Amino acid sequence: MNEHARVLHARLHLLDRQVVRESDDRLLCKVDDLEVRPGDRPYVTAILSGPLALGPRLGGLPGWLMTETDRLFRGEARPGPYRIDMSLVTDVGSAVRVAGHPQDLALERWLTRNVVGRIPGAAGTPEQDAPESTAQDVPENTAGDASEKTLRVREREEDRPDTMRLGGLLGRTVRGPSGEVAGDTADVRLVQDGPLLAEVRQAFRLAGLLIARRRAGRLFGYERGPGLWRPSLLGALVRRMHGEIRYAEWDQIESLDDDEVRLGVAWDRLRSTADL
Amino acid sequence: MKRLLAVTLGILTAFGGFVDIGDLVANAVVGSRFGMSLAWVVIVGIVGICVFAEMSGRIAAVSQRPVFDLVRERMGPRAGLVNLGASFFINVLTLAAEIGGSALALELVTGINYLLWVPPVALVAWLVMWRVKFETMERVFGLAGLALVVFIVALWQLGPDWGELTTQLVRPPQDEGVPTYLYYAIALLGGAMTPYEVFFFSSGGVEEKWTRKDLVTARANVFVGFPLGGVLSLAIAACAATVFMPVEAEPGSLGQMVLPVAEGLGKVGLGVVILGVFAATFGATLETALSSGYSLSQYFGWQWGKYVVPGRAARFHVTVLASVIVATALILTTIDPIKVTEYSLVFSAAALPLTYLPVLMIANDPDYMGAKVNGRFSNVLGSFYMVLLLVVALAAIPLMIATKAGQ
Repeated sequence: MNEHARVLHARLHLLDRQVVRESDDRLLCKVDDLEVRPGDRPYVTAILSGPLALGPRLGGLPGWLMTETDRLFRGEARPGPYRIDMSLVTDVGSAVRVAGHPQDLALERWLTRNVVGRIPGAAGTPEQDAPESTAQDVPENTAGDASEKTLRVREREEDRPDTMRLGGLLGRTVRGPSGEVAGDTADVRLVQDGPLLAEVRQAFRLAGLLIARRRAGRLFGYERGPGLWRPSLLGALVRRMHGEIRYAEWDQIESLDDDEVRLGVAWDRLRSTADL
Repeated sequence: MKRLLAVTLGILTAFGGFVDIGDLVANAVVGSRFGMSLAWVVIVGIVGICVFAEMSGRIAAVSQRPVFDLVRERMGPRAGLVNLGASFFINVLTLAAEIGGSALALELVTGINYLLWVPPVALVAWLVMWRVKFETMERVFGLAGLALVVFIVALWQLGPDWGELTTQLVRPPQDEGVPTYLYYAIALLGGAMTPYEVFFFSSGGVEEKWTRKDLVTARANVFVGFPLGGVLSLAIAACAATVFMPVEAEPGSLGQMVLPVAEGLGKVGLGVVILGVFAATFGATLETALSSGYSLSQYFGWQWGKYVVPGRAARFHVTVLASVIVATALILTTIDPIKVTEYSLVFSAAALPLTYLPVLMIANDPDYMGAKVNGRFSNVLGSFYMVLLLVVALAAIPLMIATKAGQ
């Protein structure tokens, strides 16, 4: 592994952040989900957004309503979510900045044309309806495909072939080698040492899972070092809620079937997050 | 020199824009029933909004991320959606109350029933949001709101028994029950710390393109402007305590709430106070309507804001327009705007932690803030308010039911 590769926690640093278009600082969308190419060295291929990406993450009635409403208004037989190729991402900070000219989502274009644009004084020109995303195809995985340890995930039929969604990895029950419940996936650790996406940018590789002993949802960033447990009262509360947090490297994971995660090694042999 | 002028102007705007229909109603009602015995809550509320707004303003200046971005990012899509639902509901309720308040102020001047004033007020408010520049809009109504200073002058003129007012500070009236006392304490806290104020303040920072250099302006607005607004709140309560409490009356309409000023300063005072009430409620109409657009857009990642032309922020402007229409319809059902205000205050207090917690977390996150993370003092205060707001949120709705909304 490259020593200087950037490390991110998918849920903490990437998911649900604002996407900003670099050329004109326009706010485009949120990172509603991430598209992942599975395999031995899975990596993030695209940002997914819009109701078809957010709905499944929300789940329940609101999620269902959101996806079905969107489908109703879309012409295509199997509409996919709005997609921005990871090769366009130039910066991941308090916002995710993207280069190129990804266009606005359909609702914005429709409202500009049919509602807001018709009120005097709107003074905005709707963007040209460019042909759907011109982003180049995802490069083929270069390393380690030979062993074919398939990590199959429930696939959505509208997704691109051979991809999965990162959001589906969160909140899963984790079982140890003998089937006992070990905890719950709380976040996915990404390391930027995957295959080259653009000339100089490497993909974010899924390096492993952060597993919380107790099912309590998000870690809010308090999985990071003790120096960041501030304010101390809040930090202590959140850490107490989650119990111990450990880190499973990708090759310590046996399988990802049935909406669960099966570990290949016992809980005690996982690294503690303090070592990260 | 120019910088000093900008800071002064900012402070005056924050001062004049602080009081809205919620503060007016809560302080007048509480003053008439409890005298000054709840003044400590106003002070707790002011310090709270200062802590909250300073953190969110600092985050906006350093990272250009407004509050609802933080909510979605830190709480995730589900808890964020719950917060969005609650905040949006309270926002529209408050918007309805503010529109009603402006219309009532116009009724006081013209004698024409407020219901007839509601549609024109809503229309003009929407036109202002559609066309007028953000900074102009904020300044004009903030500065006009300064007319409410007349409450302080009127208090002086009324010549209250200062000794009596001071004794009230620590002695609640005996004829009111403890649950009612606590219920009104929560309403006052909700009046001082309304979620929309923070949405608006931080989004406004982004609209005005704050950077690290503007931290001074942001802090001056918060630490000078807001406490001055708080003094105004206390003056409103003291006026009500002086005029209504001895005769055991409770002001039930806006007309009665401004009576102490008329008593102290005559017709001129009355004219000025009505202008102030109109400016304050109309300004808050704009703030709440924009805030509903801000919160929805920031949750879903839509382009928002008045710093782009309306045609470039279509979903945002449609949201703002839709909330104005819904709020107008709500007030036109002849529902009492004062009652709407009282309910929205308590709901505000109940929903506050959902917005407060992510702000507190991110103000401590060096990934966002670099060296500008919370200091020890901010964190001690911040943690104190975290606990307080959680307790208040849990108690708010049960108390509302137990006291039949303070009756």
